[in-house]
Formats: sequence, structure tokens, C-alpha cells
Amino acid sequence: MANFAGHVEQPRYTCALGALQTVVAIPRAVPILHSGPGCGDMITGFFDRSGGYAGDGTIPCTNFNEKDVVFGAVDKLRKNIQNCYKVLDTDLQVVLTGCTGGIVGDDIQSVVQEFQDAGKPIVAVDTPGFKCNNYVSHSHVVNAIIDQYVDKFLEDNPERSERNTVNLFASIPYQDDFWKGNLREYKRLLEGLGLKVHVLFGAESEGVSEWQQIPRANFNILVSPWYGKPIVDHLKTLYGQDYTWYHSVPIGANATEDFLRQVLDFAFEQGANISRKAAELFIQHEVHAYYSEIDHLASFITEFRYGLPRYAQIIQDAGYVVGLARFLLHEVSIVPEELIIADNTPEKYQEAIRKDVESISEKRRFRLEFEPDAGKAQQILRDAEHHGRGIILGAGWEKDVAIDKGADFLSIASPSPIRLVLTTNYVGFSGGLRLIEDIYMTALSTYYNK
Amino acid sequence: MKEEIRQVAIYGKGGIGKSTTTQNLTAGLAELGKKVMVVGCDPKADSTRLLLGTLAQRTVLDTLREEGEDVELDAILKEGFRGIKCVESGGPEPGVGCAGRGIITSIGLLEQQGAYTDDLDYVFYDVLGDVVCGGFAMPMREGKAKEIYIVASGEMMALYAANNISKGIAKYARKSGVRLGGIICNSRNVDREKELLKAFAKELNTQLIYFVPRDNVVQRAEINRKTVIEYEPKSGQADEYRSLAKAIDENTMFTIPTPMTQERLEEILLEYGLMDSLKDNYAI
Repeated sequence: MANFAGHVEQPRYTCALGALQTVVAIPRAVPILHSGPGCGDMITGFFDRSGGYAGDGTIPCTNFNEKDVVFGAVDKLRKNIQNCYKVLDTDLQVVLTGCTGGIVGDDIQSVVQEFQDAGKPIVAVDTPGFKCNNYVSHSHVVNAIIDQYVDKFLEDNPERSERNTVNLFASIPYQDDFWKGNLREYKRLLEGLGLKVHVLFGAESEGVSEWQQIPRANFNILVSPWYGKPIVDHLKTLYGQDYTWYHSVPIGANATEDFLRQVLDFAFEQGANISRKAAELFIQHEVHAYYSEIDHLASFITEFRYGLPRYAQIIQDAGYVVGLARFLLHEVSIVPEELIIADNTPEKYQEAIRKDVESISEKRRFRLEFEPDAGKAQQILRDAEHHGRGIILGAGWEKDVAIDKGADFLSIASPSPIRLVLTTNYVGFSGGLRLIEDIYMTALSTYYNK
Repeated sequence: MKEEIRQVAIYGKGGIGKSTTTQNLTAGLAELGKKVMVVGCDPKADSTRLLLGTLAQRTVLDTLREEGEDVELDAILKEGFRGIKCVESGGPEPGVGCAGRGIITSIGLLEQQGAYTDDLDYVFYDVLGDVVCGGFAMPMREGKAKEIYIVASGEMMALYAANNISKGIAKYARKSGVRLGGIICNSRNVDREKELLKAFAKELNTQLIYFVPRDNVVQRAEINRKTVIEYEPKSGQADEYRSLAKAIDENTMFTIPTPMTQERLEEILLEYGLMDSLKDNYAI
């Protein structure tokens, strides 16, 4: 679990097996675990309310026991898969290994191959927990599905055959609490530019038929500071699809407009056949709608400014930290102070993220820390002293710190046992407005005490 | 009051003669009137063949696989030469599963089933090859073998393995109290073998406890599924094994080994054997 970071208190991610949620998020797909009985429970427990097609928390599992460790459990896996076909009508099965299967060295690929040869839509991925965290293994799972499933349909889905179609790789399902809403908003926005979008996960995707059409896309969009990059790199090699890379989560008008224009320019570079005029009209409309809301709010903000948080402390993954900081400073007038990136960012991406943070303001400098250890991260939040009212944006675990500091608190990250998120989005114009609503509600609700 | 059971593990490079040495040695101890149990810790399950006169023993793990954890002791523990109790841990087929975990599992099961009875004087663990993972170090962990003997010869790879095994012993020595009782040389008739082994043992902070000479009667006895002591009790080689048994029974030198660097090991090898023979060859 440590994954380069040594001992970690309250990590905000799971072990590699956490990518079983990547499968759960594909409509009518089912993960099959080749792991101990507690592994799946641990993962679904981490991601609250994360049930999938097989039923809430019900995941076929080989339930590795001692006998299986000694003798290997490939026969058990074979039986498990056969039985899955008897009781579950699914479109895609993905076999994932846990630590025990990984250490013992069970050859799951050969078992899965037997079913693949029989025409079953089944994929095997090596995800022993110790290998990496789920930010990394998400890409392993997606790439395995591409290689072992999608590629088989290439004949009916020629490479780059649809000039206006794109594949989007953005939120990691369930790791990003707002993934469903975010994907829906990305899709709406990109369709507004005239593109057809494969979002691949959640209710907005067409399930496996959409996955099969991945090769048709003209190009790919990656919205992420680092995770997910192996997917677009792989697709570039495999199908020659180039990609445009937006580093942080676009929240509010500035970033969303910037993101859409980047995609638009890239689409024309790649030869998309869409109308720039119509796309511009769409962006203008969205911008106008956004600012009319801000206009209406202006007098209230002016009158009430001293009752609202003046500064924010943020702890999330790199994409959100940069996106939130930029949005809060420029569009909500809350000054970001401590920015803590808790996703165990690989070192080679850290410099670019630092530059992104520096680019937020020409005048202000922010304290940016890459710190996956919540004990250390929370100490940074506790030790920091600032004037005025503060708000902490983090996982449910940060509520304690907020209470101790007398700061406001908004849960915006996993794990979040104190907030139910269904289809809320923080991405895009509407996401920015929703975030303003949530921050204000948090602050305003403290003013009515009987 | 009865003394504690002496639990002894025999390690050494694969093919060096651990099983043969262990079985002949325990046969010698049995002749001295000692109560002995031999636990084979090798998936090949051939550690007790000479004592039982047969290979057809059900292993602990076979029983676990087929019948679950309610293993009956009678089903897996057979008496061989002079009442020596014989158990084979067994293991998975080559290439699947985890044999190391198998050893942990089967020793655990033996304890659970009460195989370690008070009347025993000795328990011997015959462990395969090198200490490649935690499972194969199981017999030297806490509460198990307190004495280790390493079977070696004057060949370079046997000494490499012995040095590596000593690293494992040194690692567990502080916590579990495991100690190295000495090196048993199973001679391969290499030049100056005895001197080399003595120097090697000294550098390891231990002793060459016994030098077993090479004799083809060992192979003849093996083909007949017998220890030399049973097959040719009056032979010189049978007496050698009796002397080895006596040396181990009377051993009082138990140390924490001081494994050497690869460079130092090679220096000793050059000093005592290989280089000299090379020179001689060139001289011819």
C-alpha cells in the first residue's frame, strides 16, 4: 500500500485492487476477484455507497484460503468464472488479482484465455495490492480492457474513422466522488462544441458498445495532472490517436472556457468537421448564463463578505487541488492558503504541478505540499495561522481539524462518510456554481442557532 | 524432569545429501536409544524414504487438500526404522502454489494435532535446498528448531549456499534463539576438502562437526530403500554415521554464525582448493 511513500496515515486512496471500481463503473460489467475474502470488502467499504451491477458490494470472489495459497487456486478461479456465467447476465467480466494470488503467482491469464477462446467477453488484470495504488492501477485496468476486449472489435470500428468523436479520460470512478456528475457535464459541454463523446463510465456511457467504439475516435482528451496518462499514451501507440492534455479539473467559468477552447483548437488541428461559430456561440451562452448568476449574487456577497470564509485550506488529489485553488481565488474571492496534494503523485509530474500552482496568481504564492500522509497533512493545516474565517475542503476525515480550528468544512473528497453524492458535479460552469452554493450553505448554516 | 525436545533443522544446497545424511544420522541416534521424529520439509516428499523403506507416504498437505483440516495424525505419521516417526510435509506440484507457505501450514498442523509428544528426544527437519523465502526459514523461527546443521562439501556452490543459509540463521538468531551447531561435510573427494571446510567453518564462527567420507555403499543402500546402518550395519560407513550421531548428541558448541562477504568466501576457496588444483593442472 505504501507505494513509494513508506508508512501512511489515513491514505485517501486504496491499494491496486481499488481499480475494481473502474469495472463497477462500466454499465453491466462485473469484476471477479482472485483474492482473499476481505479485500473486496475493504475496497467497497472505502468507497461508500459504491455498489455496481452485480448488486451492492456483491462481487464474485475466489475467497483465497490457506489451501489455495499452498496449492494455487486456478481451478477454483475457473469454477468461479463458470458459476458467474450461470447466475449473472453481464456484458464484460474483469478478473483482478489480490495480493495472495499475486504472491503465489497463479497464472490467471491462462485461465481467462480459455474463456476468451470460447468467445466470452472476459479480461484478466494483475492488480496485487502491493503493486501500486488505485490511481495507477485504474490505467492498468482500462488498458487491459482495451487490449483484451476492445481490440477484438477493431474490424467493425476502424481506427480514427469518426472525425468528430473523442474518448474522454477524466475522473476516476468513485475515487472522484463527483465522477458521475462530472462525466455528465463534460459530455454536455463537449457535445456543445459539436463533438461526440465516449465517457465510458456511468449512466452517460453506452456500456461495452461504447468501449468497442474507442478506436473510432479521432482523438482523446485527458483531464488529469498525471493519472490516466498511460491510457492515452497507449491509445496513441495502438490506434494513432493523439491527445490533448488538460492538467487540472476545470471548475467555474475561467477554467472551463480555457478547457473548451483548448479542446476546440485541438479538434481543428486533428481535422474535426465541426462549426467554430456554433461552438463559440455555445461557449458564449454558457459563459453568459454563469455570470448572470454571479451578477445576481454580487450585492449579497458585498454586504455579507465578512461573514464568509476569507481563506481556504485544500486537501485532495492534484487535479482538484489546482482546479479548486484557481477557482476559489479568481471566482469566489476566497484565498487559498495551504494546498495539500494527497494522491502520492509520482515525482516526475510534481514539477509541472508546481508550475500550474504558481500560474494561478502573479502576486500570491501558496504553500503546496505533496503529502499522502494525512497525519502530517492535517498537522500542516492545524499549525497554519491566518486572519479571518477559514474553510477546509477535504475528505470527511478533515472535519475534526475544522472543528478544532473553528473553521468551516466542506467534504469534497473520498472517503466521505458524511456526505452523500449522487449526480452532483463540480466540473464546468454548473460545477462552479454548485461549489459556490455548497460553500455558502456551509457558512450560512452556521448563522441560525436557536 | 524430562529435557526439552531437541529440535534440529538440516539445511544445505540442493543435492548435497541432506536427506541421506539426516536419515542415516537419525538411524544412528535411534540405535543409541533416542526417540526421534523426522519431518520432511520438501515438496518432493522423499526425506523419509530410507527410514520407511518406501516412498508411499501420504503427506500432511495431501491430506489437507483432500480431507480438510481435520487431519488424523495416524494418517500422516508412520513409524520407520527402530521406531523413528516419519512425517512428510509435501507441497504443491512444481510451478504452482507456494511451497514455502506449505511448510508453515504443515508444521502448524502437526503442532495442532499433537505430533510433538513428550517422549521424543529429537525432532529433525529436513529442509529443501536454499532458504529462498520465509516459508523455508519456518523451522528456524521461534519455538521450532533451536539447532541448525548445514550439510556442505568442498564444492564452491555448496559453500555459497551454506554461507547464505548462515545469513538466515544470523537473522533469526537474536529473536528466536536459533543457533548453528556446525557444518557436516558430506565428502565429494575434492582436494584438501577437510582443511577447506575447517577454515570455512572457523570463518563462520562454527565448527566442522563431522567429516563423512564418500563411500558407494551409501548409493547401494539408497537403491534398496535403506539407510546404511540398516543395509550394512557392519560397514565402516555405518560406523561413520554412528559417530556423526554421537557427535551431534554430545555437541555443546552452538553459535551465531558470522556470514562472510562473497569476496572473503572466494579468498578462502582460492587459498584452500580451487586455485591450487588449477595450478597443478597447468603444471601437467
